[in-house]
Amino acid sequence: MQKVKPILTRVVIVAVLAVMIATAAVIATVSNSAQDDSEGVLLSPFGNDVKKFSIDPASFLRQFNYGTVSVQPDGTTLREFTLITQDVQIEVAPGVYWDAWTYNGTIPGPTLRVTEGDRVRVTLINQADRQNTIHFHSIHPADVDGVLYQVEPNGSFVYEFTAGPFGLFLYHSHAEPVSERFNRGMYGVLIIDPKTPRPPADEMVMVMNGYDTDFDKENNFYSVNGVAFYYMKNPILIKAGQLVRVYLVNVLEFDQINTFHLHGNVFKLYGTGTSLTDYEITDLVRLSQAERAVLEFTYNYPGPYMFQAHQTEFVDKGWTGMFHVVESGSYMPDGGEVMKHG
Amino acid sequence: MDSKTIFLAVIPVVILGAVVYYLLGQGTSFLYTTQPLPDVTIENAGFKNGQIIAYIRNTGQDTVTIAQADINDRPLEALIKPSNVLPRLASAQVIMKYTWIEGVPYEIGITTSDGTRFAYEVEAAAPTPEPNFEQLSYFAILGSYVGIVPVMIGLLWFPFMSRISKHWYNFFLSLTAGLLVFLAVDALKESFEFTENIAGAFRGEVLIVTATMATILVLMMFTNRITTKTATTGVLEVKTKQLYGLSLSYMVAIGIGLHNLGEGLAIGAAVALGALALSKFLVIGFTIHNTTEGLAIIAPIAKQKARIMHLLALGLIAGAPTIAGTWIGGFTYMPVASIVFLAVGAGAIFQVVYAIFNWMNKEMDSKITAPHNIAGFLLGLAMMYLTGLLVAV
Repeated sequence: MQKVKPILTRVVIVAVLAVMIATAAVIATVSNSAQDDSEGVLLSPFGNDVKKFSIDPASFLRQFNYGTVSVQPDGTTLREFTLITQDVQIEVAPGVYWDAWTYNGTIPGPTLRVTEGDRVRVTLINQADRQNTIHFHSIHPADVDGVLYQVEPNGSFVYEFTAGPFGLFLYHSHAEPVSERFNRGMYGVLIIDPKTPRPPADEMVMVMNGYDTDFDKENNFYSVNGVAFYYMKNPILIKAGQLVRVYLVNVLEFDQINTFHLHGNVFKLYGTGTSLTDYEITDLVRLSQAERAVLEFTYNYPGPYMFQAHQTEFVDKGWTGMFHVVESGSYMPDGGEVMKHG
Repeated sequence: MDSKTIFLAVIPVVILGAVVYYLLGQGTSFLYTTQPLPDVTIENAGFKNGQIIAYIRNTGQDTVTIAQADINDRPLEALIKPSNVLPRLASAQVIMKYTWIEGVPYEIGITTSDGTRFAYEVEAAAPTPEPNFEQLSYFAILGSYVGIVPVMIGLLWFPFMSRISKHWYNFFLSLTAGLLVFLAVDALKESFEFTENIAGAFRGEVLIVTATMATILVLMMFTNRITTKTATTGVLEVKTKQLYGLSLSYMVAIGIGLHNLGEGLAIGAAVALGALALSKFLVIGFTIHNTTEGLAIIAPIAKQKARIMHLLALGLIAGAPTIAGTWIGGFTYMPVASIVFLAVGAGAIFQVVYAIFNWMNKEMDSKITAPHNIAGFLLGLAMMYLTGLLVAV
């Protein structure tokens, strides 16, 4: 005869209790061992001082391209440039590699610098597998406006016009969709100098941009001159008492209003740079997409000063940097050589 | 099997191996025309003193490199362990210094080297429980209140159940079946909810169906064995019935125990995630809700003598897993295991319901389709539904 013995239930009760204690012990050890002592890898939005990016915002800052210069029979200066559209991967934030569409392999494209009245000839060679153009801002005939005539892949086109008026302009691809070309990096700066040059200064170009790297129509990173947070870890050296001139261009896509705010100082704001006399004194300028401004300021006191967007979200995602003001006459490492405008 | 038969079985395997080897080689690079999209799952977040820790897993097809980490869209310095390069299905923890505030929602983001950002929402930050004695006993007491105490109270219906007529007894057996079906569906629902927390690669839904079916089949095999064994030993009819009733009760207790383990997991995880404000009301709700489980356990043995030790054992089997569940849910993060637990629990309960119907049919001469049995079944469902309103987490 079969009979369920009481001993069995005692075993069950003991077993249940044993399982409970074992569970507690296992949990205690598992959660302790989870804190492993491996060193790990540091992720940083700033990169570090020795980090080299695939583009170089430090040299871009003060790099002006005057083109191949020749004099035409009528005496005017001809400046010839070549822009090649190239698809390259660019590290836009530490560790983040962006499939960029570029002019000449960089974001932003090269800064073109001409003087009012110059004949400008820009050859576009389209190496991308999609249509592209160069649409310059400033005065030119309709046929070189870069909209009606689209340059096919492996095609080329010559844009020729007489530069004017003087001021700060930009160029960008005007092939559809234009918004994607802005996001991918197809823009650059065109400076048209007045015939009588502006006063000598430490001149630099700042292009405020952003990247929607996961295509949700919101920017993941913001930057000046291509790499998020670049000038935080690599401050821009300037000299106390030296006039600084910033050619500031906004090319931000998606949330297109951008701002520039200077710490510890005010600047003379020349809207679009089309006047040498009309200016406003302020410490903040607001620019919509493709809007530009020329800023002039001088620091009297040495030390680190921040410059930033005054939209905290942009700051958080990379649009912030540092000026390092040194005593006039002190040694300036590479990139700090004062450029006189020519 | 002779060696030739084995050889015939091995041939396709060898050919398959050769094809895989060929596909892995360089000759087939034309097959990989596009780069597979990266997929990173942030499985869980831990909140420690001045730290937020994200537990991430590469659930894409290829190795990924993690480039950036952010909180509320704001990239910040983070330490990633063991490495920022994650092979397929590998996991890592990302430790961020952050002065978080309790009760505030946060979004944690991870950006891969191609710029894709993956986000994880935390409804309300709460300190992640540390498995020290204090916390373990806190969960143990909580688990006792929602698990052991109500089940034990429910067992006190035993004297009542033993006195009622056969007709009413069948009514209560049906009611038990109703209760159990509700619990099984509830367990399935919970397990399907858990699948949202795990990577698609683990195929949570398929796992649930598989585990449930496997449990039902394996348990059926065992109960078949028990009953055929008792039948062939030629014992007295009464004793066979008693033994079967007792094993049915144990099966009910085990099924409910697994369900309560799942309930404990959910409670523990909710406390850890800060999603659950443990109000008195909620604890009382669980206590009332789970008392009905005790009734289900004793129903099969109500018409026989039962030792107090059996009742105690049954109560512990059904109730104690709640405590284990709160521990596991509160201190560890095992979503895949939790899904399997819940699915096994559901399967066990479905099998028990089948066994009860069988038992009623064969031994009690009472069909579930009889009006009073249907009424009992529906009342069981209704009781669980109504008391369940108290514990809507």
